[in-house]
Amino acid sequence: MTTEGREVVRVEGLVKDFRPGLGIRAKRVLDGITFSVQENEIFGFVGPNGAGKTTTLKTLMGLIRPTAGSATILGHDIRESGFRKHVGFLPEVSYFYDYLTGIEFLDFYARLSGLPRAERPDRIATLLGWVGLSHAGDSRLRTYSKGMLQRIGIAQALIHDPQVVFLDEPMSGLDPLGRKEIRDLILRLRTDGKTVFMNTHILSDVEMVCDRVAIIVEGKIRYEGRIEDFIAEDRQQADVVLARVPAELATTLEERFDAELRGHGHQVEARVPEKRVNDVLRVAIDAGAEVVSVTPVRVSLESIFLETIEETTHARDRGAFVEEGF
Amino acid sequence: MFVRILAIATNTLREAVRNKVLYALVFFAVMLIGVGVLLSTLSYVEQERIIQDVGLSAIRLFSALISIFLGVGLIHREVDRRTIYTIVTKSVARWEFLLGKYLGLVATVWLQVVVMSVAFLAVSWLTGAPLVAQHVYALVLTAGEAALLVAIATFFSSFTTPMLASFFTGGFYVVGHLTREMKQLGSQSDVESVKAIAGVLYRMLPDLESFNLTVEALHGLPVAPAEVWFPLAYGVFYVAIVLLLGSVVFHYKDFR
Repeated sequence: MTTEGREVVRVEGLVKDFRPGLGIRAKRVLDGITFSVQENEIFGFVGPNGAGKTTTLKTLMGLIRPTAGSATILGHDIRESGFRKHVGFLPEVSYFYDYLTGIEFLDFYARLSGLPRAERPDRIATLLGWVGLSHAGDSRLRTYSKGMLQRIGIAQALIHDPQVVFLDEPMSGLDPLGRKEIRDLILRLRTDGKTVFMNTHILSDVEMVCDRVAIIVEGKIRYEGRIEDFIAEDRQQADVVLARVPAELATTLEERFDAELRGHGHQVEARVPEKRVNDVLRVAIDAGAEVVSVTPVRVSLESIFLETIEETTHARDRGAFVEEGF
Repeated sequence: MFVRILAIATNTLREAVRNKVLYALVFFAVMLIGVGVLLSTLSYVEQERIIQDVGLSAIRLFSALISIFLGVGLIHREVDRRTIYTIVTKSVARWEFLLGKYLGLVATVWLQVVVMSVAFLAVSWLTGAPLVAQHVYALVLTAGEAALLVAIATFFSSFTTPMLASFFTGGFYVVGHLTREMKQLGSQSDVESVKAIAGVLYRMLPDLESFNLTVEALHGLPVAPAEVWFPLAYGVFYVAIVLLLGSVVFHYKDFR
């Protein structure tokens, strides 16, 4: 894993309002978000559809202008453009010039990035090999599969050897093999010293590759930090299966250990907090029960993520009720 | 800067060259030039003039149609397909992108004007119709008019949909050929405000009729050098203003 370095991306109180049309009230899509990305980490920007992920990324990329707040990349204000030679970007759903071949496509971006003519063929060949498309360099992009398009898209984002790479939903719509290929590429970027900012709603991928995450819900940051910290220790549970359970033990487990009990014939399964498993086993054995098994229950990022969203939604609904005088 | 603009321009030209719809349009224009030969057989007099009249008119009409057809979707298509995202997020200024797209499209349209002109010259030569310098001037000014139309279409394409952009650009094309009449009518008016408005509109709208030397070419009338260089200089100036305005609008555009 990475060690914390200097800040590569800094976002402070970013606000973006969209006005759907003349005379229509503006809608706040980003509501004062603040977060930072450290050097050489893979940062996951996570949220449900419509939460403001792509708007944040587009703002950072200079595609839209913030209503308020500020943001810097590599210490430069995002309204500048000179620093963008150090930034790579793969947009959500790769719409590329499909009439170009893979080599022509990369050559176009190499020219835009100011790569000297003499260096271009080598750089293109290296990148095609790197993303596993050496065999498809002379084929037009319209013949590429979605996974191949994502990989050539990553190659264009890297053509100028940027320090930081922004990826918008890089694994969206890919099959498991395609997702693994992209995951491997992202991990390799970190090995090569790059900083990766990744927008995604596929949480299993976040768990597998990201060092830190920020969770955005309804335009507000709900959490920022390491995934291990987000999946807090007290959320971890274990299933303890016991046989020959006396009635009074069942009551004790429920009352003292806050256990959820499920009966399976002569056996009882108790879901208890993981850190209290030892106490539960001691009490159960003392009461004459037989321990059949103990299985840790892995609490996924997904379930906690869903909890976070539900909490936000409920809080908002409650607020709306109060405001409307219900 | 020049490398980036050239890269965008050549990519635009490459896209057009690989677009089969354009070949159909150029083929149709060349066919129309050929049809002039058939039409000329309906008359016993001035057959060569009919051939060349149909040919030059076909070139003017099709170069305008191609300019508007390609220009109105030029920027909108890039935004709609989001291909622009990976370009303006590199160290490419938005005005560089706009200028590169414009130059690429002008090169495309000029290439088509050249193909049509070669067809016109070939038909004229084969039928024994006279070819004079005025024909070349007329073709050069047709190319100039096309470049101006592409700029207007690019401007509208930078902030509106292709349908509206084609409506506006088409309107400019039609009105652009009537500005002289409009100015004349205005000057004959007794109402001072009408006179003033007609004068302002004449200066703001493109004077496309100054690019029309068809009559001079068909009748071999003398053409003063200023009748060629002035419209061209006027065109360069007008294109610069329109692209500058387009760049300002495009600079502040949000790509949602």
